[in-house]
Amino acid sequence: MAYGKVTRDVIGELVAILGEKNVFYDPEKMESYSHDETPIEQYQSMPEVVITPTTALQIAEVMKLANRELIPVTPRGAGSGLSGGAIPLFGGILLSVEKMNKVLEIDYDNMMIVVEPGLVTNEINGLVAEKGLFFAGYPMSLETCFVGGNIAENAGGGKAVKYGVTGQYIVGMEIVSPQGEIIELGGKIIKDVTGYDLKRLMIGSEGTLGIVTKAIIKLSPLPKAVTNLLVLFEDVDTAISTVPMIMSEGGIIPTSIEFMDKLSVHTACDYLNEHLPYQKAGSMLLLEVDGTKQSQVDEDAEVIGELCLENGAIEVYVADNYTTQERVWSVRRNIAEAFKVYSPHQSLEDIVVPISAIAGLMPLIEDIAKKYDIKMPSYGHAGDGNLHTTLVKNPESTMEEWYEIEEKALLELYDAVKSLGGKISGEHGIGAKRKKYMDDLLGPGEMTMMRTIKRALDPNNIMNPGKIFDL
Amino acid sequence: MNLIVPIKQVPETSNVKMDPETGTMIRDGVESIINPLDLYAIEIAIQLKETHGGKVTAVTMGPPSADKALREAIAMGCDDGVLVSDRQFAGADTWSTAYVLVKAIEKIGAVDLIIAGERATDGDTGQVGPNIAAAMDLPLATYVSAVDGVEQDAVTVQRLTEEGYEKLRLPLPALLTVVKEISYPRLPTLRGKQRAAKTEIPTFTVADLDVEAGYLGLKGSPTRVVKIETPKVTRGGKIFKVTDEESLHEAVDSLIAFMKTKEII
Repeated sequence: MAYGKVTRDVIGELVAILGEKNVFYDPEKMESYSHDETPIEQYQSMPEVVITPTTALQIAEVMKLANRELIPVTPRGAGSGLSGGAIPLFGGILLSVEKMNKVLEIDYDNMMIVVEPGLVTNEINGLVAEKGLFFAGYPMSLETCFVGGNIAENAGGGKAVKYGVTGQYIVGMEIVSPQGEIIELGGKIIKDVTGYDLKRLMIGSEGTLGIVTKAIIKLSPLPKAVTNLLVLFEDVDTAISTVPMIMSEGGIIPTSIEFMDKLSVHTACDYLNEHLPYQKAGSMLLLEVDGTKQSQVDEDAEVIGELCLENGAIEVYVADNYTTQERVWSVRRNIAEAFKVYSPHQSLEDIVVPISAIAGLMPLIEDIAKKYDIKMPSYGHAGDGNLHTTLVKNPESTMEEWYEIEEKALLELYDAVKSLGGKISGEHGIGAKRKKYMDDLLGPGEMTMMRTIKRALDPNNIMNPGKIFDL
Repeated sequence: MNLIVPIKQVPETSNVKMDPETGTMIRDGVESIINPLDLYAIEIAIQLKETHGGKVTAVTMGPPSADKALREAIAMGCDDGVLVSDRQFAGADTWSTAYVLVKAIEKIGAVDLIIAGERATDGDTGQVGPNIAAAMDLPLATYVSAVDGVEQDAVTVQRLTEEGYEKLRLPLPALLTVVKEISYPRLPTLRGKQRAAKTEIPTFTVADLDVEAGYLGLKGSPTRVVKIETPKVTRGGKIFKVTDEESLHEAVDSLIAFMKTKEII
């Protein structure tokens, strides 16, 4: 479909709807809205105009205008996405929710908070901490990302084993539909089977089915005690086989079970000048248990630690205070940075497989890395089978060679994931980056259902077009 | 060899908020940890024990809750812990603290080497270690960055100075205060934690120690904290905007003129 252009007249109408200061088209100012956290040189695309609405009403007006003129609209949160979801592939209008960043209500009786989509996620935790509450579904980038983006991607993070992901905490929302209607979905209720669960359809739809303008978020009691275990294993198999045992035999659901393979452990420890005896380690697990009482948390940590030792762990370290916890988590947090020193050109992946399949996946990844002479460290959330396997360019190869290798290696990785019953994205989304693999990986039935929904809700295909799949 | 490591439990200060009215720290909900610089002393003591045999005892003066710091030290690999705790010790300055710790160390028994952290992150004085050495009349090396060798009756160390390193040989018993460079502290292990939970930690009170009441606590301290102030920063900057060659020359000329008035050049 040929889209309409953002003409002088369209700009005039946008200014009339939004006001002068919420519309700009200076290329220098728009540059930062042309990419997210995916590599700029591969995925950048400039918008024709950027708008910063302040109300749902304004957004509704803009959507009506966009439908009339057939101009694509790309909604955007903080731009911290890892799949190119907020990049305006076809130019058009980039709609940034950055000015809709208010907390509308804190409802302690219902343990809920009502916020606008441009609020930085971690601000919720800062506001409700003194009442002993927190938003449990946040992703790792909580200090920069926006609530709106979290909902659009159904973001998850390091605590998903116990607390799940963003979607589980969104009980209601206000949206502007692709055709410009303001619609309320769900509410301040925990149970709701009153018709189709449309709010769940919106969650994770990557801004292709509408724009969230208000979110009702369920809060949880903030754990008072936290203990971490850093466990060294000789190889991947023993580490991974311990994971389900912790939950089944140990009877404990940890907050996090993070896995790091040998390459990740060694590179991160080297980078941090961390002198743990990691040289012997073929893999590492980082576990967190939390609760209301320190004694209970310590007991749980001990049960888990003993299970690890029984299962052949080399050593179990216990971190139960700020100093040691910072130290063990910094190994996990610095893996990506550590590999950037080796080569800044990477493809950060987000595969997810059944927990029991992780051990079987590792040798397949090793084969792919060897075949293409690249590094492929794997680390991530072992407790939910979600791994951030990363393709790291060999510094010796040219960029042309790298792009070719990246595509081939990704295809082989995704095929391996599929053969083990997994999917290609657990929490980062498909966006622009992974859409070309969708038709091969998902069945025709599922793809038809998705396309039918998209066509029905957005007949002109102007709402974040070119994301997840092409129509 | 018998090693003693005096440690201090301090508030975890990297996330701490200050009360703007009083200029003091808001202690509510602040976690207590081993003084981070003491971890290096604990580590080198454990390493010396592993190489030369013997025993490491961690000792701390503080409230009963300081027991947690001692158990963390034992979990890392210290053999024993001693808590020196009594209401009468409360408010002690560095001199009075050292006085009581010396009495406690004497009670623990024969000692070959006392190793302390460079300073505590809360008081920031770095005086207690040297004070203990003075009171016990022990040879002292501060800012020790490496232990080069241990003999029957002496220890050879390197100490960090402003110009470089100094190599010293001290007869034993002696006291060292150490800097970060000396070691990489190990993490407590599960087995260490389990051992620490079972270890009996004796508490020395006034009644257990041969101390004079007049030297204890706030009353027995020769120094006082009279006032805590946040220093005012009066540094004002000047920004030169350089757009072309002319403005560049102007900026450089002004900078040179300024440095001349300050006699920097």
